[in-house]
Amino acid sequence: MSKDKNNIRDEIYTPDSIDKLIHEPARLSIMTRLYVVESADFLFIMRQTGLTFGNLSAHMSKLEEAGYIYIIKEFVGKKPHTMLKLTEKGRQAFDEYRKKMKQFFNEL
Amino acid sequence: MNEKIDLKKVEKQTYRFTFTDGIYDMAYGSLIFFIAIAPILREILYPSYIIFLILPPSLIILLGTRFITVPRIGIVKFNQNRIKSRNKIGLLIAILFPITVVMVVLTYLGLYNIKVGGYIVPVGAGLFVLILLSLIAYIMDYPHFYLYAVSIGLGIPLATLLKPIFGDPLHYLISFGISGTLILLYGIITLIKFIKKYPIPHEEISSVKG
Repeated sequence: MSKDKNNIRDEIYTPDSIDKLIHEPARLSIMTRLYVVESADFLFIMRQTGLTFGNLSAHMSKLEEAGYIYIIKEFVGKKPHTMLKLTEKGRQAFDEYRKKMKQFFNEL
Repeated sequence: MNEKIDLKKVEKQTYRFTFTDGIYDMAYGSLIFFIAIAPILREILYPSYIIFLILPPSLIILLGTRFITVPRIGIVKFNQNRIKSRNKIGLLIAILFPITVVMVVLTYLGLYNIKVGGYIVPVGAGLFVLILLSLIAYIMDYPHFYLYAVSIGLGIPLATLLKPIFGDPLHYLISFGISGTLILLYGIITLIKFIKKYPIPHEEISSVKG
């Protein structure tokens, strides 16, 4: 194999380099929705993604552990309310994910 | 996963999702409907009938959003561009609404014809309302509102045109009543579908572990 071909292979992003935390369909859907807005509450994301309460809750915890989202607890009147927002790290990770996926498919 | 993520499309879908409740359609419909019956209300409730033009649309939006929409689909805060657009709409409505009400009342009273005569002023007033409401529709990025802009914009000159034919208050009922009732019904049907599709969740959403 020539040197040039090796270089080309190095530049191709393999699926291993793609952020698997974001790549999972449900979490990708959550990240996409949160990316296009300033913030949204739990119910709004549940309606938008079509996920169940338990499913969304589990994915939210994983994204929060990774530092990709903030979970903001606040009170609306006397009722507790949960707002979700992408962190700067989450935004950068999503940008990077999109870039890598685009490059990956362009090179297929 | 092999499809490109079109973020603009996702943002637009997310934004338009907040209109699927039919609340704004009902508000517009009620405004046009009450414009249609304004001459009848005027006979009974002068001068407080003006309240019926202002109060129902505002109440439908405020109470509908608070007690129907938010408990079913939650809250979303859009990015800065959308917030700026909303501020522009607020400013336009603040300018437009009193002008529209005055124009509708003056058209009803026939005051335009005293000084200028003919249909020039009612047509001008209709165009003015049509352009401003279309601008709101454009900023709101909601195609239905163009249709509603046309309904009100056309209604003003149409009322003047129909007055000699049908007389008072039938000219107003025809000019605004038909479109107002149809829009109001469309809003109500959309709201019923929305309520069926998105029932209030039983889970304690607020107690999400984080």
